[in-house]
Amino acid sequence: MITIDGLRAFGAGVDEGLARCMNNEAFYVRLVEKVLKDKGFDELDAAVAAHDTDAAFEAAHKLKGVLANLALTPICEPVTQMVELLRSRTDTDYSQYMNRIKEKKAQLEGML
Amino acid sequence: MGEFAYSKGLKRRILIVDDEEINREILGNMLQDHYVVSYAENGRQALEMLRDRTVRYSLILLDLLMPVMSGEEFLRLHKEEEQISGIPVIVMTSEKPAEVRSIKMGADDFITKPYDSPEVIKARCERIIQLYEDKSIIRSAEKDALTQLYTREFFYEYVRQADHYDETVYKDAIVLNVDHFHMINEMFGRDMGDEVLKKIANALEQIFGNGLYIGCRPDSDYFYLYVDHHESYEGVFNELSEELAKYSHMPKIRIRAGVYLNADKSISVDGRFDHAKLACDRIRGDYTRQVNFYSKELNDADLFHEKLIHGIDDAIANGEFIVYFQPKYGIAEETPVLCSAEALIRWKHPEYGMISPGEFIPLFENNGLIQKLDHFVWRRSAEQIREWKEKFGVTVPVSVNVSRVDIYDPELENRLGAIVEENGLTAADLMLEITESAYADDAKSLTEVVDHLRERGFKIEMDDFGTGYSSLNMLTTIKIDVLKIDMSFIRNMNRDEKSRRLVELIMDIARFMNVPAVAEGVEDETQLKMLKDMGCQIIQGYYFSKPVPPEEFERFISGK
Repeated sequence: MITIDGLRAFGAGVDEGLARCMNNEAFYVRLVEKVLKDKGFDELDAAVAAHDTDAAFEAAHKLKGVLANLALTPICEPVTQMVELLRSRTDTDYSQYMNRIKEKKAQLEGML
Repeated sequence: MGEFAYSKGLKRRILIVDDEEINREILGNMLQDHYVVSYAENGRQALEMLRDRTVRYSLILLDLLMPVMSGEEFLRLHKEEEQISGIPVIVMTSEKPAEVRSIKMGADDFITKPYDSPEVIKARCERIIQLYEDKSIIRSAEKDALTQLYTREFFYEYVRQADHYDETVYKDAIVLNVDHFHMINEMFGRDMGDEVLKKIANALEQIFGNGLYIGCRPDSDYFYLYVDHHESYEGVFNELSEELAKYSHMPKIRIRAGVYLNADKSISVDGRFDHAKLACDRIRGDYTRQVNFYSKELNDADLFHEKLIHGIDDAIANGEFIVYFQPKYGIAEETPVLCSAEALIRWKHPEYGMISPGEFIPLFENNGLIQKLDHFVWRRSAEQIREWKEKFGVTVPVSVNVSRVDIYDPELENRLGAIVEENGLTAADLMLEITESAYADDAKSLTEVVDHLRERGFKIEMDDFGTGYSSLNMLTTIKIDVLKIDMSFIRNMNRDEKSRRLVELIMDIARFMNVPAVAEGVEDETQLKMLKDMGCQIIQGYYFSKPVPPEEFERFISGK
């Protein structure tokens, strides 16, 4: 079960995220659980694998918005870095970012 | 307004448009205490929801990057649709360049992602909603919702501004009015009335829109225009009529215009439009004129009329009205014999001297005040008949006027009956003149009233016969005792064959109806002889005497 303390330990900006959720802890936690099921992660992964930078940018951008709102900093950071690189369609190896994203996501999922 | 709604506990509705469910939920959770929140996943869904007229949205929170229809595409369409373009939009974005771009595309504000604190977001929403509501209140007071023309106060203010910036340019103040507009509403419904007003506003825009033109609908079916001076308005209002005639489903309408040319800018704006309105109102019911121009004379005449209208009661009380009598002579015998008289009113005004009846009678006929004068003349005439009867031992019947408005007076019979009785007269002594135009107004009422009056013994004279519209038809339904031939025929009889033939014809009609014919306006012996030859029995006119005061009239009685 994901808890506020757990999120804090994870490195999330809990106070910021909670404030956006009107300090409703249950609501905040529910949204965090929900974002883990967001199909945007899979879409990003697939786009990166296919070297489709347009689709990858779109997916990363969307994820960034949600993750930032929830202040899930450890996952949001690599996503944001990807967005900036993809914005200029930088030809680079995105798998390192993807791996970090997956790793942090798995860490959160482990709390479920 | 914003405060009003909050104080009444009314909740506005906000539409959140974002493809990310979590974002929608976060925002919704922030706003739900103050607002009713609806959600759309993309621009297209949002448009569909906004087009539903039964739901009223106060604000749209719009994400830019969305599938199906992006926020930018939505902004473009939002601007184009009249029904929803009035709803403010706050864009939600994490991209700096998008902020400026969306404001340029018509967004009213933006919220950055990740979201600011709920307080900031709520404050931004509230501020934009209030701004729009205040703006729409101002706009609704500034423009008439139906025609989009200015309302009176704003119009006057803009005219003042136009004067200020356009000081040296001559301007015309114009007032337009739709004749019998209430009938359009009554006969075709209010929607049609509204449509007519809208079409007029459009046509005015088309005709005057090129120059500096300020238009206003101050109330109901009046239009005020302030335009650059036109040398001539010939054609301008024809163009307007033609423009309106294009709408074949609309009833035919007639628009009157009053124009104050080169309106004097030293006069207040409303004063200038009062002048134009006076010119406009003056031709109400005059189907020969579509445009009337304001002039000093018109204004003076209006002031004069106002004074007459306000002075009528005092004038009656102060004895300013004098009843004159013009003799009528029977000419069947060799020597003419006085047989009756016609009562004619004169006004000796303390300020204006003798005022012609042609000046005040039509005025009082228009506003119904004629009834007061009629009552005065009936009473005065009856008293005079009694006086002469007492003094000379003879009865001189007097003809008095019964105006249209009297016909509708349910007390008419009793009123006349009482006057006759009080003076010890018989009903036949007071002869009642009605005009055939009263028949055109309401044939049924007139026929009934005439029947009742005749039953009580009053004699009915048909005045101005031959000048109205329904003469022949009328004669089949209404019973009269005397036919009076209008003086215009008599006057032209000497030199105009047609007039002479008409008089002969009217004489034939009188014979056919078995009633005497009275010829009015007889001025010379030639006319008298012609009439006598035609078999006319009674003559009235300057040949015998002009209308005279009662004392002077007595010489005709004593001569009898």
